[in-house]
Amino acid sequence: MKKALNAIGNYFKNIGIAFVRGDVWVKLSAVLMGAGYFARKQVINGIIMFLVEALFVVLCAGYAAPNLAKFGTLGTVQFEQVFDPLTMTSTVNDYDNSFLILLNSIMALFLILVFVLFWIANMKAVYRLQVQKENGEHINTFKEDVQALFNEKFHITLLTLPAIGIILMNILPILVLVAVAFTNYDQQHMPPSALFTWVGWSNFKNLFTDSVTVTFGYSFKKVLAWTLEWAVLATFTTYIGGILLAKFINNKKTKLPKMWRTLFIIAIAVPQFVTLLLVRNFFADSGIVNTFCTSIGLTDFLKNVGLVPANLSYIPFLTNPGWAKVMIVIINIWVGIPYQMLIATGVLMNIPEDQIESARIDGANPFQIFVKITMPYMLFVTGPSLITDFVKNINNFNVIYLLTQDVYVTSDQLLANSNAKEIDLLVTWLFRLTNEYYNYKMASVIGIIVFIICAAFTLVTFTRTIKGDKEEEFQ
Amino acid sequence: MKKKVLATLLATAMTAGCLAGCGGGAAETPAAEAPAAEAPAAEEPAAEEPAAEEAPAVEAPAAAAEGTDPIANLIAATTGTVTLKVWASEEDQDLTTKLLDEFKAAYPDVTFDITLGAESESTAKDTVLTDVEAAADVYAFADDQINELVKAGALQEVAANYTFDVVNENATGAVEAAAVDGKVYAYPMTADNGYFMFYDSSVFSESDVQSLEKMVEVAGAAGKKIAMDISNGWYIYAFFQGAGLELTLNDDGLTNTCTWNAAGGTDVAQAILDLTASGVLVDMSDEDMATQIAEGNVAACVNGTWRAETAAEAWGDNYAATKLPTFKAGGKDCQMSSYSGYKLVGVNPHSANVGWSMLLAEFLTNEAAQTARFEARGLGPSNLAAASSDAVMANPAISALAAQAAYATPQRVGANFWSPAETLGQILASGNPDGTDLQELLDTTVEGITAPVE
Amino acid sequence: MKKTIQAILRHVVLLLLAVVWLIPILWLFVTSFSGYKGINTSHFFPETWTLDNYAQLFLRADSIVQYNKWFMNTFVIAVFTCVISTILVLMVSYTMSKLRFPGRKSLMSFSIILNMFPGVLSMIAIYFILKTFNLTNSHIGMIIVYSAGAGLGFLICKGFMDTISVSLSEAARLEGASEAKIFFKIIIPLSKPIIVYTVISSFLIPWGDFVFAKLMLNSGIATDWTVAIGLFNMLSKSMIAKYFSVFCAGGVVISVPISILFLIMQKFYVEGITGGSVKG
Repeated sequence: MKKALNAIGNYFKNIGIAFVRGDVWVKLSAVLMGAGYFARKQVINGIIMFLVEALFVVLCAGYAAPNLAKFGTLGTVQFEQVFDPLTMTSTVNDYDNSFLILLNSIMALFLILVFVLFWIANMKAVYRLQVQKENGEHINTFKEDVQALFNEKFHITLLTLPAIGIILMNILPILVLVAVAFTNYDQQHMPPSALFTWVGWSNFKNLFTDSVTVTFGYSFKKVLAWTLEWAVLATFTTYIGGILLAKFINNKKTKLPKMWRTLFIIAIAVPQFVTLLLVRNFFADSGIVNTFCTSIGLTDFLKNVGLVPANLSYIPFLTNPGWAKVMIVIINIWVGIPYQMLIATGVLMNIPEDQIESARIDGANPFQIFVKITMPYMLFVTGPSLITDFVKNINNFNVIYLLTQDVYVTSDQLLANSNAKEIDLLVTWLFRLTNEYYNYKMASVIGIIVFIICAAFTLVTFTRTIKGDKEEEFQ
Repeated sequence: MKKKVLATLLATAMTAGCLAGCGGGAAETPAAEAPAAEAPAAEEPAAEEPAAEEAPAVEAPAAAAEGTDPIANLIAATTGTVTLKVWASEEDQDLTTKLLDEFKAAYPDVTFDITLGAESESTAKDTVLTDVEAAADVYAFADDQINELVKAGALQEVAANYTFDVVNENATGAVEAAAVDGKVYAYPMTADNGYFMFYDSSVFSESDVQSLEKMVEVAGAAGKKIAMDISNGWYIYAFFQGAGLELTLNDDGLTNTCTWNAAGGTDVAQAILDLTASGVLVDMSDEDMATQIAEGNVAACVNGTWRAETAAEAWGDNYAATKLPTFKAGGKDCQMSSYSGYKLVGVNPHSANVGWSMLLAEFLTNEAAQTARFEARGLGPSNLAAASSDAVMANPAISALAAQAAYATPQRVGANFWSPAETLGQILASGNPDGTDLQELLDTTVEGITAPVE
Repeated sequence: MKKTIQAILRHVVLLLLAVVWLIPILWLFVTSFSGYKGINTSHFFPETWTLDNYAQLFLRADSIVQYNKWFMNTFVIAVFTCVISTILVLMVSYTMSKLRFPGRKSLMSFSIILNMFPGVLSMIAIYFILKTFNLTNSHIGMIIVYSAGAGLGFLICKGFMDTISVSLSEAARLEGASEAKIFFKIIIPLSKPIIVYTVISSFLIPWGDFVFAKLMLNSGIATDWTVAIGLFNMLSKSMIAKYFSVFCAGGVVISVPISILFLIMQKFYVEGITGGSVKG
């Protein structure tokens, strides 16, 4: 932390130095960015810098300024359309689209931020040139500068393109999401026909409120609890199951291990949305599994035991809260075990045989060997991927959505009042809020919370991995 | 001034509509009667103009063409290709393709580039509202979505008619369903989107189907099931409305008033519990009904015309349809109510060619189109002339719908209704597993339904 | 004797498990030959067998089923996606693995957190961003959606590159090779297995995604769709009764090439997940 503060301090100190000690050309560079380069005879660099600045000014005037001017209100002119029945044409006024204003303003702010950083870098570079000249050091020609981009500055060259993609597809959308959480963007305020505006923290308050009519607080707690429960269950059942299956197949007594492994892998090689939609119909209330269970009397047996409500003539595999939760976990095991088996197979083959051998000589039984040697080794190697799996399960949209969409009806009235369901994860709830109820503001708030949870889990594990990692091991 | 123009337009439209009504031919739009394709565009409809005798503003034919005939104006003003996007349901694709060709033929001087997409009427809203600007210029939807679509500015008001009189040629209910706050926003396409009852007449007699209790008894004895999508606000409404409890949309167009928890409400809830307790009346989704009817497990179901084909195939000569039965609530017989449903065609105000879109919407919903739709798919017309044909009257599903019409109400309800009502249905259909006090159950439901919308 | 029984028992258990795992796949397969278009709920095996569902997929394109088109669309999108993604991933992983520059570790932590952010949360924003560039309803837009953020998924590839000995690039550097040359001439050839993994895994993305595709390709015109939306659409409420067995046929058809690719990929999958600590 302290180091980071120091770094930031240094960063600004350097600009200060550039300003104080820089000569007239350096100071001029603050306004005309190419100036410092021209002074050191780096003409091409100078022209590039100048063009960048010109482009920025044009973008500012033509794009950033008009949008940012409306950023405070997110627009005031409502959409109006007049239809002339005689000419059969319609005229539309010059209306504001709140969402586009928001989106463009964020892009504009981002652009300005990038430019400021660029400007600072430019100031420092220009000052460095001055120092180099004063010391009589070699000043790069343009050709040498370009070559540097493929040598000591190769990381800049390599990262530029991926960074643009990531900014466009990941960072900007997240910023928009964060901004929307502070607006009243919902079905009553949907652009282009209506405007929305800033509302401060009220959406966050709603999420933690429990009242008769606003049940988001209640639903949030319930959904969050199930999300975590699910993530733990889903991760560990498949993990343990995968190891056991791998051990079972890898056992020397098993004939044709390759064939068995392939059989299990076939199940996951079919695209997930196909298998999951299929399984949903497989276990439908009037589906084939139910027909089978009725004919062998299982349905009646479960009715007598009390596991199936008396007035149903089928097993509500995916329609009753209790059954659905169990079924989803089981189906997820079905989906997940083959993956984990693959990994476990790979890892198990590398377990140092001598350790197991010596344990066996010491009289340890297979179970003890499994707990004392196999598991610790597995956990050591697959630990990071286990946490990744956990975070992925928190956001396991596919399994929940494909298995329960259009099928599952909640029987918890308070959940229903905020459009949630017992089997919802935070992501699926959020998806329904946006896709079916256009409640973008609440969805954004939930989205931010999901992000915080995931980021926390990731940080805890990966800082450890990155810091104490093996990356230098081979080098 | 504007009023006068409108009056003129209406008059023109009425005569034109009348002509279309008498002739009954889809292709008989004004332009189709134009003598030669090469004639200047503006003059074409002028040939039709004298027919509109009531139109007061007729001066010289040319001036009339310039000023008062909007279609002529539109054709004259149209240069280049008119690009239109149309959405019709998956089942309606073949018919719509044919109608689009006829439409293009009706205006031979205009180059059209019309693309037809598949979007089910029941989910049109979801796609349209996500991005109104990207939605089709002309799209079909079910009337329950009209409120939200109008609120989102996704429907162009039907301010004037050009080829026929939308208001007077369609059934009153259909026009009401297409209107919000007294303004018409869509063109009625079918009048068959409500629900009623299909049954297998080899299991039930005509007197059996008068009462749900009797039906449960008969079906139970025969080992068959009666299916209804109880865990769905749209259907469970039948019980509560039937018992005289109210659910209405408030004047703000967003929130609901609901009296399901008033006196008598618990009787209805108890009735549903009793009816489903035997396992004969089952809560079943529409898709499941399709298979279960075909498998022969279901002998009667509450559903709409879209399942007529399945039922007719499965039951053959025993296929019958009728109004919904009565049910006993608190000791008295209540006739089950229903939502009357219509399919509508709307025009997107964000369309670049609103004028052509409106003409196309009219074309897709005029008498000829509705007749064709009935002949091709058995969908009940909302157009009065088309609906009065013998073939339509003889269709069992449509006559059942007509019989149910007396007890049906148009669907006007705010978005907060669906989730709570669905859950109420789910709880009752699964036998109230937690044993919640029925009054409490209804109170919570009503709180959800009537919750304010911020 | 006891041993034989144990061995038989072991294989019976495996067989049972395999059956459980394969029953839905078998159901998919047999239903694709069913003469009845809806869901057959009383028999596992179809009562009448036919190839008609496949014929409908390939030979009778209409406004709902455009399987050949979907397949082509998805294939084109997948090819571009995997090329672009692979390039981006290689660029980032090489930088993170082999180059040293200030801020590298914080950049890595930042990217890993960012990568944990599920796309579903921000898809509406992505939709409108692409709309401002007029890229919705276009396959270019889809390629961007699938590949632009690919650089974040560098972790597995970086883990692999970490294991490439640094002495090779040192030697090259001494001979005066530029960093760019080292990247192209030494690292890339040595990273073949992980490149295969990256290529295949990014190739598979467009085949399985229906959420983004459905949002982005919203024209309602079947010829624009990818296989995933097309198949997903067949199971919508109004269609399932008439298209279920066609859906199964479509599922079988895409499963064949995907399974093959998947079987090739799984060799590298293990190595990647365990961060190179396991050498297959």
